[in-house]
Amino acid sequence: MNFMDTKEHILNSLRKNVRETYDMPELSFKKRTFEDPVKAFIETTITTAGAKLMEIKPDDDINQKIREVYPDARIIASNIPGVEANLNPDTLAEAQELEKTDVGVIKGEVACAENGCVWIPQTMKEKAICFISECLVILVSRKNIVSNMHEAYERIQFNDYGFGTFISGPSKTADIEQSLVYGAQAARGVTIFLTD
Amino acid sequence: MSTKHSIAAEKFLQNGERVTRHDQTFWSVRTKRDTLAYELDEWENLREAADKIKKHTVTHLADYLEQFEQNATRNGGIVHWAKDAEEYNQIVLKILRQHEVKKVVKSKSMLTEECHLNDHLFKQGIDVVETDLGERILQLMELAPSHIVMPAIHITREQVAECFRQKGIIAEHGTHAAEGILPTGEDPNQSSDPTFLTRAARYHLRDNFMTAECGMTGANFGIAETGDIVVCTNEGNADMSTSVPKLHIVSMGIEKLIPNYEAMGVFQRLLARHGTGQATTVYTSHFRGPRPGGEMHIILVDNGRSSILGNEEHWQTLKCMRCGACMNTCPVYRRTGGYSYTYFIPGPIGINLGMLKNADENYHNLSACSLCCSCDNVCPVKVDLSTQIYRWRQNLDGMHHADAMKKAMSKGMKVIFEHPNLYTSSLKFAPLVNAMPKCLTGIKLNGWTYGHEMPVFAKKSFHEIWKKQLRSESV
Repeated sequence: MNFMDTKEHILNSLRKNVRETYDMPELSFKKRTFEDPVKAFIETTITTAGAKLMEIKPDDDINQKIREVYPDARIIASNIPGVEANLNPDTLAEAQELEKTDVGVIKGEVACAENGCVWIPQTMKEKAICFISECLVILVSRKNIVSNMHEAYERIQFNDYGFGTFISGPSKTADIEQSLVYGAQAARGVTIFLTD
Repeated sequence: MSTKHSIAAEKFLQNGERVTRHDQTFWSVRTKRDTLAYELDEWENLREAADKIKKHTVTHLADYLEQFEQNATRNGGIVHWAKDAEEYNQIVLKILRQHEVKKVVKSKSMLTEECHLNDHLFKQGIDVVETDLGERILQLMELAPSHIVMPAIHITREQVAECFRQKGIIAEHGTHAAEGILPTGEDPNQSSDPTFLTRAARYHLRDNFMTAECGMTGANFGIAETGDIVVCTNEGNADMSTSVPKLHIVSMGIEKLIPNYEAMGVFQRLLARHGTGQATTVYTSHFRGPRPGGEMHIILVDNGRSSILGNEEHWQTLKCMRCGACMNTCPVYRRTGGYSYTYFIPGPIGINLGMLKNADENYHNLSACSLCCSCDNVCPVKVDLSTQIYRWRQNLDGMHHADAMKKAMSKGMKVIFEHPNLYTSSLKFAPLVNAMPKCLTGIKLNGWTYGHEMPVFAKKSFHEIWKKQLRSESV
């Protein structure tokens, strides 16, 4: 059976086997919101998500803040203007070159109070920076915090890179006897820089 | 007659300590789910919505699949269709051959288990490295998953440590992994500390991420309106697998499709809360096309799903999003373990999917249900799991798999219930059984005494009490 046959076969089988059809439901029920989403986001981030959080003032020196949180970092990767980095994910030939990154500095566009998720659209050539770095600093504005995932999905945007991810804290696993361990395959630590 | 499930369960139950640990582990996940459920006033609205969205999508699936293919293709992806496991495995192999792939890093996918992809690729000389920690442990131990979300939870830390030692992972990465985790002077070769073992696995898998030519993922959701593939993990292994290699192959069962982002909001909130008792997975990644200079292939797999849609009694299993909540709550699963089932997916959903796949092989699992209906009440998409199991049981006789002894008992009961006089005198004489010596009542033929004491028959039946006292009182 060739490709077209298979596709037609599956679609025909589906159309033939439908017995009764159902309408898409209305989803206007009331969803959980927070009086102060910023406060709720901070709380979720530093508790269940297992991340750190720093509130950044407009005249703070961001590079100094990075060194404050990660004083031992030798290799910093970022493509954000103004961030002092040894590696730029836009100019690398291969993702493998990011392997030894201690701290990756990236930007989040939308943050969600109910679960600590931050939407990070790919804005760099090598998205590996978001996962391969031992630790991540995620910059996000307090103006972009919403209460729940319904609101988050209304806001998120894609660009030509065609990838985006919600990240909530460091990589976790509980696969060995259900003991919670931070730093399974991706970032071991995450610090949210909450900007104005 | 015992089912294969009950025979395997009996073995599992011999180790009381292990049973208790297994039971408590999954019950704690169920408890975490409950805590999150009580936090949300809209919990039942979400389940209701999820149920209806899935019903809508699977009954319009052909249209949504076409829409998805159009959008995914426009985004630069390459869409393939596979009617069964064989065709699916061939497509994967063909893509890998075209790219001269020698090693694949793979994140957890139940669909690839269903199609036995790994074996197929190994035979063709292609190395497949599972990258979810639990899956990797099982792969190294040459074992199958015993749960769909927490596949290796039944393995002890000592067993993991022993396995990592045998496979040379401790020798290669132990010293590095011990830094800052084990107290100075502690021998990495003697440690079974979970943080240390996870760190050793991290370095071991890093090497594989760096050298593999292809990353394979499953799909938690496909979104018709945008062409996105959504993959949810806690470890970030799906993202590592797709950020370094340039080739990404997605394997998706056709029923994983949902219409749009509005629906995605509902499912994102339900998946982790039900599966692991977390408000979210750490990563919810949307793949909308290949990475720069790379290729993204999406294989849409039927493998029996389109015919399930035509099954009046069981089509709603297609709503399942594989969160594992029904296993975590199931009293039988918790006390008998994943390996007691004959199908690779255990628990209530596995019982049903196994029957749909091959009833003759998997009817054994139908006994693994007490009809407590807890699974129906926790399922985020409201699959009527226990009701479906009940229906299968009603049809067992027609499939020639009914238990001979239960059949004989049912026939006997039918005679008794149809003859009131016989019923009354049977009740009258039942207490005589109390006086029988145990060697008579405790025989193997009497299933009631297997594993517990024979119940004591009341001296007076309710029938009698009602006739003599209650009826006059109630008048």
